[in-house]
Amino acid sequence: MSNRKKYWTNKIIRTIITAIGVTLIAFLILHLTPGDPARIMLGSYASEENLEAVREKYNLNEPLYIQYWAWISSLAKGDLGTSIRYNRSVNTLIKDRIGPTLVLTLTGLIISVVLGVVMGILAALKRNSWLDYLTTVQAIFWISIPSFWLGILFLYIFGLQLRWVPIAGMVSYTSVILPALSLGLRQEAWFARPMRAEMLEVLNQEYIRAAKAKGLKYYIVVTKHALRNALIPIITMLALRLPWIIGGSVVIEVVFSWGGIGSLLVNSVKARDYPVVQAILLLISIAVVLANLFADIIYTWVDPRIRTEG
Amino acid sequence: MSKLLDINDLKVYFNTEEGVVKALAGVNFKIDKGSFHGLIGETGCGKSVTGLSILKLLDNNALIEGGKIIYKDENLLDKTEKQMQRDFRGNEIAMIFQDPGSSLNPVFTIQDQIQESVKMYKKASKQEYRNIVIEELKKVKLPDVEGLLDKYPHQLSGGMKQRVMIAMMLACNPNLLIADEPTTALDVSIQAQFLQVLKNLKEKFDMTVLYITHDLAVVSEICDYVSVMYAGRIVENVPVRELFKNPIHPYSYKLVHSVLGVKTLLENLEEIPGSVPRLIDPPSGCRFHPRCEEATDICKTKVPQLKKIGKNHYVACHRR
Repeated sequence: MSNRKKYWTNKIIRTIITAIGVTLIAFLILHLTPGDPARIMLGSYASEENLEAVREKYNLNEPLYIQYWAWISSLAKGDLGTSIRYNRSVNTLIKDRIGPTLVLTLTGLIISVVLGVVMGILAALKRNSWLDYLTTVQAIFWISIPSFWLGILFLYIFGLQLRWVPIAGMVSYTSVILPALSLGLRQEAWFARPMRAEMLEVLNQEYIRAAKAKGLKYYIVVTKHALRNALIPIITMLALRLPWIIGGSVVIEVVFSWGGIGSLLVNSVKARDYPVVQAILLLISIAVVLANLFADIIYTWVDPRIRTEG
Repeated sequence: MSKLLDINDLKVYFNTEEGVVKALAGVNFKIDKGSFHGLIGETGCGKSVTGLSILKLLDNNALIEGGKIIYKDENLLDKTEKQMQRDFRGNEIAMIFQDPGSSLNPVFTIQDQIQESVKMYKKASKQEYRNIVIEELKKVKLPDVEGLLDKYPHQLSGGMKQRVMIAMMLACNPNLLIADEPTTALDVSIQAQFLQVLKNLKEKFDMTVLYITHDLAVVSEICDYVSVMYAGRIVENVPVRELFKNPIHPYSYKLVHSVLGVKTLLENLEEIPGSVPRLIDPPSGCRFHPRCEEATDICKTKVPQLKKIGKNHYVACHRR
């Protein structure tokens, strides 16, 4: 087998093992937390008979390993099970709600990366100027505010007081602005600082001096020679921050009544709706693992030194 | 011969955490058009700083305190960054650096990096650019030129990278090429090849070269004229033959006699006592006086000025 093939087989096997591991841990944590889904669904006055019927229907009386095995084997067929709370196929539940979540997380991601990278570059170019300090201050500011609180604050200022954007739900294209900003600004801080540091380091490299010695215009030196090199470590940052962005979106979706996977997850945890929670956790873990895989691919694409070693 | 570059009393200081380092404390020399001018001195004496000052590519903590750098009747020190970029760097003055490994951008192909130099003065099609780059690479005698175009710097050897570096700078069509210890990172056998390439190119394209080095053997091989530098000042400006036949300044004398041919090596090898002074707190007067056997009181108090002592021969010493 060629090196390259070995590398990718390795990667894919590891991806699968990671995903299965995550589902197992999620499964155990869920089932070991107190709370009876049947009781939550039927209410405190339900008769013991009815409760038992529900438990029977969703196999809740079986030993854990049998329940897990049943779940895994139907998963292998592409079936994520049936929601206890909604009594609907989990596949359709997720399919209906994944769109809004993708819109929100991707917009948030783009805001955080674009703002972070631009701020980092400007801060590095204008080192020790007011702009540099401003970048630092705003980064600390966003990092220090919990995203749900930032969301509420945004809602109050831009939704209620200024009435620039809708305050909740997905009613128009502008709806995404506030939740995406609450999500993105906090993450932006995580990109701005490393970007600044990378840029400063790269600008001190000898090849930047050589590029200037050729007589290249300053903006070409910065946007071509420096940026391409400074961005390489940022790609790793991107893969590392993605779980946080997804995690943040769960909270943000609840604050903004955003009908996506995140709010579904929160409601399902409250209702101990095991099949839905497990399915979403599996999905998120796959997304994170795939993001890392994707980062590896981009890496080899931007850095030729890695390309030839593989 | 007419002058191409005239450096006059150049002073460059660096702000560091320990204090102000007076790296250049009055550098004076002229480069004739078409000459191969050597700038020689020990490590840390300010040779590279001099080279970088000409292109105004010094680090941010550098301060040009005074002096003039006259290039073709214009003082480069009066030029703005924008003017330097547009009118001087590359198309008039180019520079090759000590370490070819770190002077080429690791993420762009060889073709891309050379093409950039060409693009600044010539509009052409993709294919034409490719042909120009091939021509440029052939000039520096690189083998298998076409195969190199799409390679990245890390795929080449040190000697090849240094030639690519020259090709990249020559593609700018400079009149003056500053070479800052270009052979330091190369094997001895590659050094000789490299020097030959440089020498041929200089003659073929009628360039002027300022060659910065600490290697006297290289100087004797290729330079016409030499400026000897010590601790931020020029101590002797001398035609290369005179330097080896009749070095006047005590430092030049010691320098020449510290590296002799193999035959005389064992009997006559001399070392210069003491070590290079720290430029944060340089010796007063003549900066060489603590290491000079002939130093007298005046050497400790008064800075010696360059004075003419022969044809094209200048020396800065109170005792001569």
